Amino acid sequence: MADDTSDTGALDARTENAALRSALAAEHAAVWGYGVVGAALDASAQGLAAVSETAHRDTRDRVVDLLAERGADPVHTAGGYAVPFPVLSGTDAAALAVVLEDGVAAAWVRVLDQAVERTTRELAVGALTAAEVRAVGWRATAGQTPATRAFPGLPQQ
Amino acid sequence: MSPPLPSCPPGFSRRTLLAASAAGLAVLATGCTSSSADEREKVTSRQADELSAQVAVQEAVVSAFVAAGAADPALAAEVADLAAQADEQLARLRAAAPGSSSSAPPAAGDAPPAPETRAWLRTQVATAAASHAAACVDQSGARAALLGSIAAGLAGQDGRLA
Repeated sequence: MADDTSDTGALDARTENAALRSALAAEHAAVWGYGVVGAALDASAQGLAAVSETAHRDTRDRVVDLLAERGADPVHTAGGYAVPFPVLSGTDAAALAVVLEDGVAAAWVRVLDQAVERTTRELAVGALTAAEVRAVGWRATAGQTPATRAFPGLPQQ
Repeated sequence: MSPPLPSCPPGFSRRTLLAASAAGLAVLATGCTSSSADEREKVTSRQADELSAQVAVQEAVVSAFVAAGAADPALAAEVADLAAQADEQLARLRAAAPGSSSSAPPAAGDAPPAPETRAWLRTQVATAAASHAAACVDQSGARAALLGSIAAGLAGQDGRLA
């Protein structure tokens, strides 16, 4: 898989925009995925899914605007995505929400790794933190222990 | 065919970031900046100082878990996994800032007895998360990624302690 780092290995606007495009793709997937999550949850838990989906829509829109300001092509949402496992229960739905948030977290860590602009890192660490806070709640709902992670978004060593 | 929901973003190999992180840590450890990968991980003296400061912040978190455990043994058992994660974070931060040294861990202060211990510990964790997040934006490359990830991890712990 190609690295986005520029030919000189340096970080620049190209590496940053490429990472932002990947983050945008992850946000698109999260927005879509929360539709599946919400449909499988009982009414008492649908509020959290709705709030999570709204948060991802807001972040998605911020990234779209940011890329547009730079004249960079956005990434468009896919018509649908392959769900990694059957979502047949509330527990399955929570586990899918964890997958969505973990995917988003990894994308924003990538932005932190590739960004050159301080404002972009501010955006990234905020989005990363929000994703992990949501993920902790979903892991607990899914019965995953521990519910917290030492290094959200970073590869396991 | 529908694309899979990404467990990591398109174009982002977990191996890639791991390699970038390793390159960055290698640069910090050796001071070598000969390769292009090392070039992107060059650290200014100011960034190095700030990273060392975050090591001290994390040491305070680890101390806070110890103090909270002494004040409230039941809480110690409940948050053992969180304390272990704080230890892991400290080890990674120290590896990323090899110039940092601390002869004695900073005192987190005395933890109040139960039932106030949990709220006190939560404040310590949240304060450290905010500090790492603020420091993250002034770093770059693997150091920014590491600090941002730890900040998010501690924010998650804060939520768990709520």
